[in-house]
Amino acid sequence: MALAAALMQEELPIARKRRCEIGLKGVSKTYRSEKGETRTVLSAVNLEIEAGEFVVVLGETGCGKSTLLRLILGEEPPSFGSIQVSGKPVKQIDARCGYVPQKYSLFPNRTALQNVMFGPRTAKYPLMPWLHPGFHAYRKELKTEATQQLLRMGLRAADANKYPHKMSGGMQQRVAIAQALIMKPSVMLMDEAFSALDPSTRISLQELVLDIWREQRPTMVFVTHNVAEALFLGTRLIVLGAYSEMMGGKTNVIADMHLQRSDLPYLERRHTKEFIELQSYVEELSYGISCQP
Amino acid sequence: MATSVLDPRNLVDIQARPKRSATQILSWVLFLASIALYAHFSSVRHRENSEDRIVPSAKQLVQGIQSSVFHPAEEDDDLDPGATRWQQIRHSMIWKDTVASGSRFFIAMALLVPAILLGLHMGIFPYFGAFFLRYVLFFDKIVALSLLPILFIVFGIDEWSKIMLMVIGVAPTLILDTCQITRAVPREQIVKAFTLKCSNLDVAYRVVFPQILPNVINSVRLSLKPLALFLFAGEMIASTDGLAYRIAIMRRHMGMDIIIPYLLWVALLLFGLDTLLRFLNRRLHPWL
Repeated sequence: MALAAALMQEELPIARKRRCEIGLKGVSKTYRSEKGETRTVLSAVNLEIEAGEFVVVLGETGCGKSTLLRLILGEEPPSFGSIQVSGKPVKQIDARCGYVPQKYSLFPNRTALQNVMFGPRTAKYPLMPWLHPGFHAYRKELKTEATQQLLRMGLRAADANKYPHKMSGGMQQRVAIAQALIMKPSVMLMDEAFSALDPSTRISLQELVLDIWREQRPTMVFVTHNVAEALFLGTRLIVLGAYSEMMGGKTNVIADMHLQRSDLPYLERRHTKEFIELQSYVEELSYGISCQP
Repeated sequence: MATSVLDPRNLVDIQARPKRSATQILSWVLFLASIALYAHFSSVRHRENSEDRIVPSAKQLVQGIQSSVFHPAEEDDDLDPGATRWQQIRHSMIWKDTVASGSRFFIAMALLVPAILLGLHMGIFPYFGAFFLRYVLFFDKIVALSLLPILFIVFGIDEWSKIMLMVIGVAPTLILDTCQITRAVPREQIVKAFTLKCSNLDVAYRVVFPQILPNVINSVRLSLKPLALFLFAGEMIASTDGLAYRIAIMRRHMGMDIIIPYLLWVALLLFGLDTLLRFLNRRLHPWL
């Protein structure tokens, strides 16, 4: 059956050999309001994400997609359970994960090039870099690397000196990806990174992210509410559902499935029978909507 | 399409689009009206009493300006008759008072820099915020002028009591304002910075501070008038020089021909400083 084929695990023997890059054990997250009311967003989540996987987290608004990302990032601690990234527990935000949010991803007071150079420069020369003897040579070298990174993202050399407010949303996200990638993180976390973009920019960025993933194979965790985007990008799909008291402490992970990779471009792939069938299945699963007549 | 300034309906039309020339003309109307009104009252009073000093005539004002700009203060010695124009200005009453008030003003502004840094720390470091916020909020509600007797006791009646009055009067508001501006920096920026191997101090001084600086400068611009207000209060109560001291002295002599030019000079100085800060803000932050 086409659907079963689409859900096949990709490169299963190789995947088995990969190490666990992100591990969540019994993770729950409950928020308490000022009135003392509690609201569980994530419940009993157990996940093992292997190195090099492209995991897409899908689900309706308020189901805990972004919370899951924030927990992996270390921005918030879980209420219960433990999280490990690259074999070490997550306690605070650090450079193990690269991060591309939906907006405000660039520092507005720096040009595209300065934004990309900022991370490596700060890492190597934390304070008053101009006092270090090797700084100027390093800066020159870094400038070349950052420019190449921007060109790789599909920007022109002339865009390097533009400030974020002079760039379109798509350009800003390209710079944000370059800014994260130049740090060579083992994990890339993208939180609805393309949600605010127009369809054509979105497709070109999806293809760019896939190319980068194929080349460098970072472990990707991509949060979206767009089913087609999720199916096009991911090698693994995690569907979250909104937690309710009826679940009685059970997990709100509705589905965790491996997807078959295809090298077809987005516009061709989305019209294949398998893709349409799978999209309909996942939409029904995550939003309770059936697209089939 | 541009609309006419002469059509009265346009005054209450939100969608009106005044021409550039109309905007320019309108912006000067109140100045001209004030001058005309002043000239009218002055001439009325001078018709009744040609020596009137309450609303000085243009001639009296010019004489007052000349005496402020080219003549020394009453308490100072006269210059040699052969002194150049520049030497006369350097030895003049207005120069002496401007330097005295200006130095107090700028020392107070320099002392407000730590207040800005405290506001930054309160906004970004949660423990700093928890430690200082309630105290600064409370301190902000104390009427600074009521502290003047205490300041006179602690710092004496010399320079420091006046400078500290300005600092204490403006610092809490500036701290709270900077704290609010800092907290308005999107959380995503801070998270991103940590993923780029920034330390806590890097985030504070290389990511957040450069971003909030334009708004902090705007906040300082809005504090110029309160600063001048506290300076004037201090100088009027206990001083031997300064712009406000001179105005207070001249009030006793009904010297409106000096007071009015002094008031305009103070307004011009503050306006110039405000314009300079706005210009610097634009030049230093091309990303705005």
